[in-house]
Amino acid sequence: MKNITLIFTLLVAALTYAQTVPDSLSVNPQNQQNAAQRILSGNINTGVTVGGYGEITYNQPEGDNGELDVQRLVLLFGYKFNDRVQFVTEVELEHVEEVFVEQAFLQYSLTDNINLRGGLMLVPMGITNEYHEPTTFNGVERPSIDKSIVPTTWREIGFGVAGRLDEVSLRYQAYLFNGFKSVNGSKVLGGSNGLRNGRQKGIKSTIDSPNLAAKLDYYGISNLRLGLSGYFGKTQAEDDIEDIDGTSVGVAMIGLDARYAYKRFAARGQFIHASISDTEDYNALNSADLGSALQGWYVEGAYNLLPQTKEQQLYAFARYSDYDTHASVDGGLIKNDAYDRDEWTFGLSYKIAPGAVVKADYQLFSDATDNDKPNQLNIGLGVWF
Amino acid sequence: MKLSSITILVLSILAFGLPKNIQKKVDSEIKKTYSVDEFSFNAMTFSLEVNKSIPSEFGTDNFFEIKSDSINLGYAYVSKAPSKTDQFDYLVLLDSDLTIIKAKILIYREDYGGEIGSKRWLKQFIGKTKTDEFRYGDNIDAISGATISVRSMTKAMDDLMKSLKILNEKGIL
Repeated sequence: MKNITLIFTLLVAALTYAQTVPDSLSVNPQNQQNAAQRILSGNINTGVTVGGYGEITYNQPEGDNGELDVQRLVLLFGYKFNDRVQFVTEVELEHVEEVFVEQAFLQYSLTDNINLRGGLMLVPMGITNEYHEPTTFNGVERPSIDKSIVPTTWREIGFGVAGRLDEVSLRYQAYLFNGFKSVNGSKVLGGSNGLRNGRQKGIKSTIDSPNLAAKLDYYGISNLRLGLSGYFGKTQAEDDIEDIDGTSVGVAMIGLDARYAYKRFAARGQFIHASISDTEDYNALNSADLGSALQGWYVEGAYNLLPQTKEQQLYAFARYSDYDTHASVDGGLIKNDAYDRDEWTFGLSYKIAPGAVVKADYQLFSDATDNDKPNQLNIGLGVWF
Repeated sequence: MKLSSITILVLSILAFGLPKNIQKKVDSEIKKTYSVDEFSFNAMTFSLEVNKSIPSEFGTDNFFEIKSDSINLGYAYVSKAPSKTDQFDYLVLLDSDLTIIKAKILIYREDYGGEIGSKRWLKQFIGKTKTDEFRYGDNIDAISGATISVRSMTKAMDDLMKSLKILNEKGIL
């Protein structure tokens, strides 16, 4: 009798336990759900996460047609198999018609401080590439450095380790990634956007030699967060031509960033320098104009015009950016002064809820040539949930 | 069926107590914080009516009295709060006068916002008591890149202070 009671006890206990941990692949027809139902029932206990962010923008340059665009709509789906194993993916619709996968990685938590990750991941460089949701930055458009020098949203397939050390307020990340492609279809590197054309984004990407990306974030000083990023490697060339001079270039990029927030005041800044080797050969082989150094920085100050007791925030901000994709050039390449740019951005970010923002700003562009560049008005809506 | 079997049955079905991994972390923090090796750890529960009057959750496994040699050392509050897409577990240790002596994130389950685990950030709550209020970005620092979790933890702590104040005024604590 005693044994039977014990077995019964264990069985009941097991059943009650089992009911608190729903099986995602239940074979019981009464419990079966399709993917959509599971996502719709998305509460935390099921392990499913659904979220997203989006930006709808209006750019109006002076003396030209304006552009209205659903710039991005990104749908986040995550699934937590258990406390240690998680999958995260972001599916992105760009300009309504292009579909990309922005992130898709599997994470295994070894300990509280060490997570192993593999898949399509964001390259940790500067602020915006990792924190690119529209409610996290001021201005309708991302800072220009985070287009021309850090090619946001910069992601490649790779693996690595990430985690936090709470005792010393440090977050670390280190990954081996696939690199930029030397010649991406018909697109070569260089020009006003530096390495941007080389992003492979995990689309049937060519791998020749892996690149290292790492970042340290320190948040041990009140109100301040500091970042140091590094990216080192080579662009990827096809095997049959890789021995020819100029089929690939070496990339060494470092970034420093800081974010500060104190009561109603916020500020941030970023500096990025990339040195690129073998550009002379690369430019000769591909008729390109890739600079041997790309460099840029910006500083931004913002002030919340609403009292802090309100949930809504209305930030007035100003940002100055200075960036050059021909910071230096090698060989016979002549510096293009039009790539030596600076800009002022003045605007407002009205957060009508923590995850919803209405933005408006005005941008004054100039470069090292004598040409006048039209100023631009931007208005945008952004959400993140 | 013997009474003991029934007890086991009841215990198994109710299966109360903190999850093992959480209990282990809580025990270790208590030992460090109160500088004790042996202590008793007993859940305190309150009537439904009391629970309705306070903003924090005080269920069967949230609030515990910590005693050593039958002397009250203080209290532990263990609960969950939302992060961006998940929940994290946190622990607050109070002395017998309901002053915070330790705040710790026990388990943080996602990448975004994990900075709230920072010892430096959590220090801001230490020494505060039931009459204190916490406001994000005002008397509690923001952390860039962790806004959602910082707001969430700040609110959870503010609710806890309010709850303790109410329980104290009712003469329960």
